Amino acid sequence: MSYYLQLLLNGVIAGSVYALFAVGLTLVYGVFRFINFSHGELITWGAYLTLMFYTPPFSWPLFLSAIPAMALTAVIGFSQDFFIYRPLRRGNPITLLIASIGLSYMLRNAVRFIWGSDLRTFDFPPARGMEFGGYYVTGIQLLMLAAAVFFLAILYLGLTRTLWGKSLRATADNLELAAIMGISMPRVSASVWILASVFAAAGGILLALDTNLEPVMGATNLIKAFAAVLLGGAGNVWGALLGGLFIGIAENLGVAFFSPGYKDLVAFALIFLLLLFRPRGLFGLLTGVR
Amino acid sequence: MKRWTGILACTWLLLSGLVSAAEVKVGSITPLSGKLSVYGEGFQQAMLLALEEVNAEGGIKGSPMRIVFEDNNSAAAGSVSAIQKLITIDKLPILFGPAASSNYLAVCPIAQQNKTILIAAESAAAEISKCGSYNFRVFPSDALQGIGVAELTHALKFDQVVLTYINNDWGVGLAEIFKKKFLESGGKILDDFAHDEGKTDYRSEVLRVRKSNPKAVVNLTYIKEGATILKQAYESDVKTQWLMGSASKSPKLIELAGEAAEGVIGTYPTFSQETPQYQAFKAAWEKKYPDKKIPVFGEYNYDMVKLTAKALRLAKSMSPEDLRQAMIEAGKGYAGVTGDKTFDANGDVGAVYGRWTVKQQAIQDYK
Repeated sequence: MSYYLQLLLNGVIAGSVYALFAVGLTLVYGVFRFINFSHGELITWGAYLTLMFYTPPFSWPLFLSAIPAMALTAVIGFSQDFFIYRPLRRGNPITLLIASIGLSYMLRNAVRFIWGSDLRTFDFPPARGMEFGGYYVTGIQLLMLAAAVFFLAILYLGLTRTLWGKSLRATADNLELAAIMGISMPRVSASVWILASVFAAAGGILLALDTNLEPVMGATNLIKAFAAVLLGGAGNVWGALLGGLFIGIAENLGVAFFSPGYKDLVAFALIFLLLLFRPRGLFGLLTGVR
Repeated sequence: MKRWTGILACTWLLLSGLVSAAEVKVGSITPLSGKLSVYGEGFQQAMLLALEEVNAEGGIKGSPMRIVFEDNNSAAAGSVSAIQKLITIDKLPILFGPAASSNYLAVCPIAQQNKTILIAAESAAAEISKCGSYNFRVFPSDALQGIGVAELTHALKFDQVVLTYINNDWGVGLAEIFKKKFLESGGKILDDFAHDEGKTDYRSEVLRVRKSNPKAVVNLTYIKEGATILKQAYESDVKTQWLMGSASKSPKLIELAGEAAEGVIGTYPTFSQETPQYQAFKAAWEKKYPDKKIPVFGEYNYDMVKLTAKALRLAKSMSPEDLRQAMIEAGKGYAGVTGDKTFDANGDVGAVYGRWTVKQQAIQDYK
């Protein structure tokens, strides 16, 4: 029994990071109606920028390095929109999709160009995990969980309790009508991109702390975020959150029943099944940021 | 306008043809991007070192030798497009194949079909021996290494182990040979499962190891995956003896896993570091790349280029058959940095296996 509970625990922790990725992806989809393939690169950039501030010549402490890194990732996210997506928004949605794929390659190779394709780490010595009645959790895993809860709580409060949240939800509901009602579109779109970037960067930093950094780290995790978004119903923030957790738990529990070599199968199979039978997602209450 | 472009293109083609006629070109499919690029840069540097020496010795019958590098993004699909380009556009008769056996196996039928010589310097799958007559490799086959790991496990008196391996052609093939040999020698496998390539979270896999509470775990994997598994096992306090293969033997493993890599024991195809060939290679490497350590499989890549140059000098003509004969001829008794490179009927070479361990955060020979 304790074996399954430990698997569940690992799943929740992995899932909370997937949720951080998925929320940003679904938010962008909810408002702009397109899937941003370069979302994965924001994850990578967040992690590498933190490494940059953490290592010489800066050598700042980790928490201090994470702040400018998240801010710079937000600048990247915002510039993506400002320079590329905004001019294309009136066109065909396929154009946006292809532009985002191109952008993802460009950003990924920029990481390679600057930091090389070698594996990098934050060089933390591995520490024995803390034991709670037979369950093992590392400090970084706890940090992952705490950070996910923290960011998602801020998001919850922001969306439900503030005027900004209301205007965001209105825009997701109907972009044109919201604009007619006097909601400032540039402000809403800027906040969506900043939010999505900061969440992706935070997830990327946590992932890098837990293991290591490499230029494809974002792209490989993006598929999990996709599955989470679909599971929750595209555009649904709370759905993406639950979707992320669900995937984390499903793939970790799956290890008990089949070879872990096929772990990714869970995420991919879920995408297929959902697209076939529940295209609006399992938790698809209705589309839109709810 | 169109006509001018046409004429320009023709002139360019003609000119580039003239320029390249003076060079002897061979191709290389190298993982310069993607997940194997950790290794790729090192392969390339070793090849370039050998190339520099070949050209300093007068090249191939007076013409300089050149390697055309094609990136494969560390993937089978990328390797196939790379080989297509090297064969059909560059028309190169000798190619250095991609690392990772799955990538190599994806391209070797294409080389065979086009009568193009394909040489492997770091692909170990036993399956590769069946690639065909135009296939050569300077790296020993896993058929030998699988037996090596089984013998190591047996010699250390671990008769019950958990086996885990990376889920690709190389890992699966190696695991099968290990299993066969280990079971034959009376060993028992408590649990065996594959793990995915390129993951950051192997905690569930580690839990599965912990479930059988084994004295030893045979983990046939790469550097990054190996380091992550070791680290996450250490975090959840799994106390066991880790036994690994040659692909994890790298200072990078220790850099990534730190303390958690301490005490790992593994096997690797070895060669004497006392030979004059090795000493010369080492000196040349340190001169060309003073602040870089000799990379994993660097010696094999170096040997591959040197041996190919020898074959090109021996070849009566550049026809596929003459080149193939020249390769076999060049290999006969060839004493490279990595030992004897005499090719058998499958284009394979023999091997000697050594044992490595991690002690005080450094890779050392296990005695």
